[in-house]
Amino acid sequence: MSVLDNLFVKIAALVRTTLTGLGLGDIWVNLAMVILYLAGILGVMITAALVLVLVERKIAGFIQLRPGPNRVGPWGSLQTVADTIKLLTKEDIIPACADRKVFMLAPVLVLVPTILAFAVIPFGKGMIATDVNIGIFYLIAVSSLATIPFLMAGWSSNNKYSLLGGMRAVAQMVSYEVPMVFSLLGVVMIVGSLQMSAIVEAQSKVWFVLLQPVAFLIYVIAATAECNRAPFDIPEGESELVAGVFTEYTGMKWALFFLAEYANLVLVSAIATTMFLGGWHGPVLPGWFWFFIKTSIMIFFFMWMRWTFPRVRVDHLMHFGWKFLVPLSLANIFITGIGVYLYKTIGW
Amino acid sequence: MRTQEITVNLGPQHPSTHGVFRLVIHLDGEVATGGTSVLGYLHRGLEKLAESRTYPQFIPYTDRLDYLASMSNNLAYVQTVEKLMGIEVPERAEYLRVIFAELQRIASHMVGVGTFVMDLGAVTAVFYPFIHREKILDLFSMTCGGRLTYNYMRIGGLSHDIPEEFLPKLQEFLDYMRTALEEYHQLVTGNEIFLARTKGVGVITKEMAMSYGLSGPNVRASGVCYDVRKAHPYGIYDRFNFNVPVFESGDTFDRYMVRMIEMEESVKIIRQAIKDLPEGPVLGKVPKLIKPPAGEVYHSIENPKGELGFYIVSDGSPKPYRLHIRRPSFVNLGVLEEIIKGWKVADVIAILASLDIVLGEVDG
Amino acid sequence: MYGSGVVKGLALTLKKFFSKKITEQYPEERPFIDHRWRGSLQLDKDACICCNMCVNACPNGVITLESGKDENNKRFLTRYEVNFERCLVCGLCVEACPKQCLKFTREYELATYFRDDVKLGLYHNPKLSAPSSTYAQKTEQKKEG
Ligand code: SF4
Ligand code: SF4
Repeated sequence: MSVLDNLFVKIAALVRTTLTGLGLGDIWVNLAMVILYLAGILGVMITAALVLVLVERKIAGFIQLRPGPNRVGPWGSLQTVADTIKLLTKEDIIPACADRKVFMLAPVLVLVPTILAFAVIPFGKGMIATDVNIGIFYLIAVSSLATIPFLMAGWSSNNKYSLLGGMRAVAQMVSYEVPMVFSLLGVVMIVGSLQMSAIVEAQSKVWFVLLQPVAFLIYVIAATAECNRAPFDIPEGESELVAGVFTEYTGMKWALFFLAEYANLVLVSAIATTMFLGGWHGPVLPGWFWFFIKTSIMIFFFMWMRWTFPRVRVDHLMHFGWKFLVPLSLANIFITGIGVYLYKTIGW
Repeated sequence: MRTQEITVNLGPQHPSTHGVFRLVIHLDGEVATGGTSVLGYLHRGLEKLAESRTYPQFIPYTDRLDYLASMSNNLAYVQTVEKLMGIEVPERAEYLRVIFAELQRIASHMVGVGTFVMDLGAVTAVFYPFIHREKILDLFSMTCGGRLTYNYMRIGGLSHDIPEEFLPKLQEFLDYMRTALEEYHQLVTGNEIFLARTKGVGVITKEMAMSYGLSGPNVRASGVCYDVRKAHPYGIYDRFNFNVPVFESGDTFDRYMVRMIEMEESVKIIRQAIKDLPEGPVLGKVPKLIKPPAGEVYHSIENPKGELGFYIVSDGSPKPYRLHIRRPSFVNLGVLEEIIKGWKVADVIAILASLDIVLGEVDG
Repeated sequence: MYGSGVVKGLALTLKKFFSKKITEQYPEERPFIDHRWRGSLQLDKDACICCNMCVNACPNGVITLESGKDENNKRFLTRYEVNFERCLVCGLCVEACPKQCLKFTREYELATYFRDDVKLGLYHNPKLSAPSSTYAQKTEQKKEG
């Protein structure tokens, strides 16, 4: 059991010893390991995106009483591969009036914050690329960068729909950052540490979703808005803005946005798992598998919401964020503070 | 802070303009300050075409007006010609006409409601109504062989009698409708996001509704109780017992609700019609060559979108001298420019969808 | 309670998620085509009396009919063509035919690769002028098979 549990950790240790055995210096070994981790994360991310596109379409289909894609490969499993090939071979159009440099940079940059954020996610016991002691802080700092590529894309496309979409994206992501951070604060207060592994460790007995149900709810809502998914998909807003920020993007550039969307989805689900659902804790099965299961459930929930609700209007979105979620999350912090204080002084 | 207004060309290629409709809209940030609708992308000149067709030959063309409600269009046209010529229609045909017109109303409202909710961003909510509509189309195709353009009504009756398996299937469908509507209410009507998006949005006041000459669900949502079926009963509508839902506030939510309730009322009417359905022929005594006497006639019915009227001038020849169609979608669309002022882009789309226009009818 | 509508909607979509899917797997699964289906046209050319009723009934004038007279002064067809491009598939021609020799088939897959193939040569094309309704049979067999 423990072999399985530590499978990936063992592999990493093995690689490290081999590299040291080859007589490389410490710096080089560390560098090699970082590249390895990065490759691992990228691999996970891209596979996840490929699988999730199919899963999303299947879920949408099932909810709408359709079988979803089922023509390419068994059970439609090669559909995304076919789509990717199609996107790769498509003509890459840059609008004549677009700001070329910014336009081309945006889809690349959109992936960066997500990849960076994955560095501090504990996928299993000891399976964390860099266990910095300000993990959460790093996560929040990095993921707030994700706003900029959207604005870049919206602005540089020189299209009114894109511009509106870009502006909406900024407004939405900046406002929902606040309740999201506040909801995570409750957990941090209980644990008393910003380190990801410490947070997971603290949930070995009871998951924080039970101690912090309100925070969990706020987090789920804010996270949906953060990754621009329905019912908060107003930057894309298909029925209003055609495709919002993505309107002018074609081929692989568009696919990168798509990839980022799904990578983001995995990221917010992984954070939810780590912060509220006990991370990799769970009986019998190996830790990383538990992490996988919990993250999948979260992803399913996000998709399920997407295919049920109408889109929220932009001003309602703002009102809801600032007038409801922020006060609620503040109240949650306050109550948590009292709780923690009582726990420490009285001792229950 | 004053910012520059931008002009956005919504359509003719846009996901939610319900066809090829174009709305030039002026935006101050997200807020629409005004708009101009541009029509005519689907204009085929049906009124002119009618002048070179004989009276029966024009029936298939009425299918192409509001292609989501072909049956009702057929009905309006043939009743107009019958009125002009004074033709008696057999009882059985009259009852069947009511059944088909009401089925068509359900089918049309299904699409209207579904696309409305889809334009609010709920994609799933468009699939369920289409599934229900499919069952109606099956009933239609079993009777007249068409699924979209039926060409079922004839001057003096109907082209076919219903097949044997029709009535049991219809009964089954009516029972199914109850759960279908309940489910839809569960999915959409109570949803808080939906309510926030629709309540109080795009209000058409009673005065506005009347001065713009709106009709159908749109006018009934604004507190005007005007339904041609009640106001000027045509065919045998005076024999049925049904309510006309009227709402007061005239916002998009009310327009949605009127359609939902009308579907229930249509089910009621169909149930009554099945109960009384007599035996007999479905095509009355009609001269071989249809040659109405010289004169003019106007007749209107309650089509799912509103009051659909045909005005025919006959010079005694087998072809109409002039034919004019009062197309409800076209008239209803007139109010759009006025009610979108001050609403967000997202609302403009919702308001347009809530008017439930079909471009085939708008452009004629 | 505020929020209950949202939960109800989620409950419904979850129920639908697990219920039976209704998509017809065309082309493996053939749709049921009703007997009154208005598909392609078919002519029994021996029964046709060249009365021109169908030609006159057609709103778009898409039927071209040419006939000759034999020694008994009986008319026979020499050409019968329906320009299906402009056909409304309204059925007025079929209704007008006094001999019931013009019929709809249940053939609905009418896409062609060439524009000229859209025109239905009901006289020259043996497939379309067969007296028995071969098309109807074909659809029947496909459905069963
Ligand atoms: S179906 Fe209608 S349009 Fe087509 S040939 Fe017959 S009468 Fe003419
Ligand atoms: S109406 Fe019938 S019999 Fe007369 S020409 Fe046409 S196909 Fe022949």
